[in-house]
Amino acid sequence: MGGLRTAESLRRSGFDGEITLIGAESHPPYNRPPLSKELLSNDKDLSAVAFPIKEGELRAQLLLGEVATSLTLSNREVTLASGESIPFDYLVAATGLRSRQMTFPNDLRSGRFSLRTFDDAKRLRKVATPGTPVVILGAGFIGLELAATLRRLGCSVDVVAIESTPLAPILGEEFGAEVQRRHEAEGVRFHLQQTVQDLIGDERIEGVRLNSGETIECSVFIEAVGSIPNTEWLAGNELDLSNGVLTDQSLRGMCEDGTSVDDLFVVGDIARFPYAQHPLPARRIEHWNIPIESAKRVGREISHHSAPGSVADFVMGEHFNPLPSFWSDQFAMSILSYGEPKLADEVTLLEGDLANEFVFGYRRNGDLVGVAGVGMRREVNKFRGEIRL
Amino acid sequence: MIKIHVDMEKCQHYGQCVFEAPEIFKLNDQDKLEYLATADDSERANIQAAADVCPMQAITIVE
Repeated sequence: MGGLRTAESLRRSGFDGEITLIGAESHPPYNRPPLSKELLSNDKDLSAVAFPIKEGELRAQLLLGEVATSLTLSNREVTLASGESIPFDYLVAATGLRSRQMTFPNDLRSGRFSLRTFDDAKRLRKVATPGTPVVILGAGFIGLELAATLRRLGCSVDVVAIESTPLAPILGEEFGAEVQRRHEAEGVRFHLQQTVQDLIGDERIEGVRLNSGETIECSVFIEAVGSIPNTEWLAGNELDLSNGVLTDQSLRGMCEDGTSVDDLFVVGDIARFPYAQHPLPARRIEHWNIPIESAKRVGREISHHSAPGSVADFVMGEHFNPLPSFWSDQFAMSILSYGEPKLADEVTLLEGDLANEFVFGYRRNGDLVGVAGVGMRREVNKFRGEIRL
Repeated sequence: MIKIHVDMEKCQHYGQCVFEAPEIFKLNDQDKLEYLATADDSERANIQAAADVCPMQAITIVE
């Protein structure tokens, strides 16, 4: 998505050069959020989630199923797994994330799942039949959405998570406890402050053993324990790759010595970019709108570089300062949030009541840094403009 | 003039489009999306931005 949106932004801002989009997956760009929800419950194919591409406007060469394996910045050249090298004037790194995988003493593969790609969803859909016992490791958004979708499909669902309350590290204790309560009311079982110590079974998974010693039977084990930035291909260029790619305020890649690179831009959830208004270290944001916002910015910036003054309203050096937004549907619960609630030192219920619909506000040093609610769309949207990041 | 189509089976009424093209989209008193089916060409960039940020990818511009 980040690559496609960058190409669209380039063309819309008048860029006339050649564009090559290189994608590791064999599928054309598609929308990931439905993977954990409607795509698991319906027998839909890729066309249900693929982004429409207007080839006449985009005028880009799509290289799908091609993995970029290395970059030689000094030669302005990307090398693919096939051995082919592709020269560039500007490179946009938008390689995204992959699911983190655990390693167990009995490191069985069969019966093990994660959810990041369309192929992951297809695989999971095949086994998500009524009565199937499923263990999900991780109670973040992906883990909880999967719990809800699979429960609705009639699976028996156990969630194992290290935190004491699901989502509490992100949205606070009260919000998380209410989410947990609603999941439990639908029959999801939680095993909190626990982790999976080992897998049980000979050839395929028959269960998991928790660190408490408790065992849970399952035929499907899903790891939803976060993601790892796909940045290995950028190594060897003195870039700061300590967590994603460090960028400056214009999303240009930065070197370990603190200098910016003029011809490498970073888009999406691998970009670790600085705050505009908080004295905090640069951070990556794994929300859906970040690829869109960063792509729009980078497309305009590159167009401006290649034809200075041609891009209307473009202000060189302006701080990239998107408002992160995210949403999550779990059972009848529809969560909508803006900003970065996890930065808060103070969490207050702004509207509604916990048993029904509600909105929480998240403040840091008195500034509103996030807002999140269940339902109450217009109320959540009302506070959007007050967030300072 | 441009024509706007919202797939109401996909739409989950998140209201992200409202911020990009407030002249075209709004959430009503029941938090449901309402929109104008046609718009002037001057709104094209805003409507395109609204389509881009729609979490459900439910908005299309009919050429």
